[in-house]
Amino acid sequence: MGKIRKILVANRGEIAVRVMRTCKELGIATVAVYSEADRSAPHVRMADQAFLVGPPPSRESYLVQERILEVARQSGADAIHPGYGFLSENASFVRACEKAGITFIGPPASAMDAMGEKTRARQNMIKAGVPVVPGSTEPFASHEEARAYAEKIGFPIMLKAAGGGGGKGMRRVERLEEFDSAWRGAKSEALNAFGNDAVYIEKYLEKPHHVEIQVFADTHGTTLHLNERECSAQRRHQKVVEETPSPILSPELRAKMGEVAVQAARAVNYVGAGTVEFLVDVHRNFYFLEMNTRLQVEHPVTEWVTGLDLVAWQIKVAEGGKLPLTQAPAPNGHSIEVRVYAEDPARNFMPSPGRITTLRVPGGPSLRDDSGVFPGYTVPNFYDPMISKLSVWAPTRREAIERAKRALDEYVVKGITTNVRYLHAILSHEEFVGGDYDTSFLPREHTALVGGAEDPQLTEAALLASVVYAYQRDQKRTRNMPQTSSGETGISSWRRALRRGR
Amino acid sequence: MRYFTKRHGQKEAVPVDIEPAGDNRYKLTYEGRTLLVDALALESGAMSLLVDGTSHNVELEEVGDEVLVQVGGQTSRIDVADERRLRLRAGKAGFTVEGKQLIAAPMPGKVIKVLVKLGDEVKEGQGLVVVEAMKMENELKSPKAGKVVELPAKEGTAVEINAKLVVVE
Repeated sequence: MGKIRKILVANRGEIAVRVMRTCKELGIATVAVYSEADRSAPHVRMADQAFLVGPPPSRESYLVQERILEVARQSGADAIHPGYGFLSENASFVRACEKAGITFIGPPASAMDAMGEKTRARQNMIKAGVPVVPGSTEPFASHEEARAYAEKIGFPIMLKAAGGGGGKGMRRVERLEEFDSAWRGAKSEALNAFGNDAVYIEKYLEKPHHVEIQVFADTHGTTLHLNERECSAQRRHQKVVEETPSPILSPELRAKMGEVAVQAARAVNYVGAGTVEFLVDVHRNFYFLEMNTRLQVEHPVTEWVTGLDLVAWQIKVAEGGKLPLTQAPAPNGHSIEVRVYAEDPARNFMPSPGRITTLRVPGGPSLRDDSGVFPGYTVPNFYDPMISKLSVWAPTRREAIERAKRALDEYVVKGITTNVRYLHAILSHEEFVGGDYDTSFLPREHTALVGGAEDPQLTEAALLASVVYAYQRDQKRTRNMPQTSSGETGISSWRRALRRGR
Repeated sequence: MRYFTKRHGQKEAVPVDIEPAGDNRYKLTYEGRTLLVDALALESGAMSLLVDGTSHNVELEEVGDEVLVQVGGQTSRIDVADERRLRLRAGKAGFTVEGKQLIAAPMPGKVIKVLVKLGDEVKEGQGLVVVEAMKMENELKSPKAGKVVELPAKEGTAVEINAKLVVVE
């Protein structure tokens, strides 16, 4: 460990740009890697050095450890920042960096191993006294044993077929009195569907919220948290909107969850930036979900309410430095981040790669856009469709929502389809504004968010504008046609102009 | 001059008459109403539209035959055609789901599954091909009931945006 002089950013898109910005501010040289599809990407031009690592598919370029390490050697980079995705949670890559004498800006491989595999993470958390969703791990020997277990963890519960899914062999049981018939039905259904009647029991979480805690640890014994981020606005486990503070946490619950997250990180000797994800149910019980052993996509909202640069902290810790704080600072104000995806929500979120012809990014106070695109850039179809993250800050949640909506109104992307309007609809929805939205919010309200009632005045404006646009376009084309008229055969418009000029 | 406008997904076209009425001003008549608007075209398909003093920032973009219009956070896809263009399109059934329907790749990607064979009878909404892009699979469905009369899509091949995949008649 020691002062880092040059960092290879083993990633692409907005996160590569974001990491390089902090490096520039710290006086650290940067190295970009790029695939053939990414030659024109902003991170390539932003870096001090850039190297091709392979053809477009990730597994042939950004995921090829040997090639990344070869670039680090060739460029003289003494550290690698993985961003998120790609190799960021790959313990074997961390070991390869150690072996090559290159500092990996992230946790040790052992912590990644301990948290990377879900069942192992769950076992580690149980040992550490971190609450996990109560559930059985072994088949029950008898009906009576299953019943006793259900009583122990408390109703409502879910019965789930061990042999498969698709809703078969699955039952929600609200009360003990319903257990016997549900158990028989689930086992019978599981046997018919999968040839295996083994059924597990898991606590049913009502209206779960996805709330995560940012943790940080250095190598000097300090492990702290930087409070929470609310991530319940998600579909297919892909987050769309994130915010902090969470509208549903009381100060007591926040303190408790933060304490437990720190406990989780300490249990695996964590170092660097990590995030402990929890599910919070309607009764405000919380349960460990998983740990992300890397910088999170949505880290900007934490930066907004703390004033910190989390990437700078990561680098400092990787250099062996001490964290400048020993406990969580009180959050200041409210921050919301929306993810702009190159996809069409109205067509079942069909991806929309292609050339961006126009890009106008919003301005105004307390607003930040982390982006990996520019006008003229062709969004490739080989990678995640997220093109930018727009984040805002304001003193209160209500003000932050209005600021984010105003910013989205100014956000113009043409040439590809994006989810900008969908994001605006989310922020306008009464359930989101009310704050108590759980992870079912986006799937359940899909039709309202995509189809939404139309303002007749805006509909009329769109109609009028489209006709004027077509008319102006056609008039322009007409004016550009060669002109002739009887009586002036053979005389071109240029010569007529010259004659008039004389 | 008369234009016919059709909102995406709707069947009926609405005629709109437009006349110039001074610098950036136009008189538009439709559904028995006449409006005088001030419309200033700016760069990159931006337009400042004043309707009875109400100001709208409008973003317009041509996407195929349609115009994508964004105004006040609302997005519309409007097909605008003058009478001449409408006649040219008569054989292509631009305003109704009749005649041959071309299913083209909506984005660059890879054909991962072809769900029909040449000559198959298909129902409206039936899946025809599955295209993968940006790690996501998308099933393209038939816009009408009919017969597969062309099938250039091949499993495993890369396709460019707008590449012809299936034709249903």
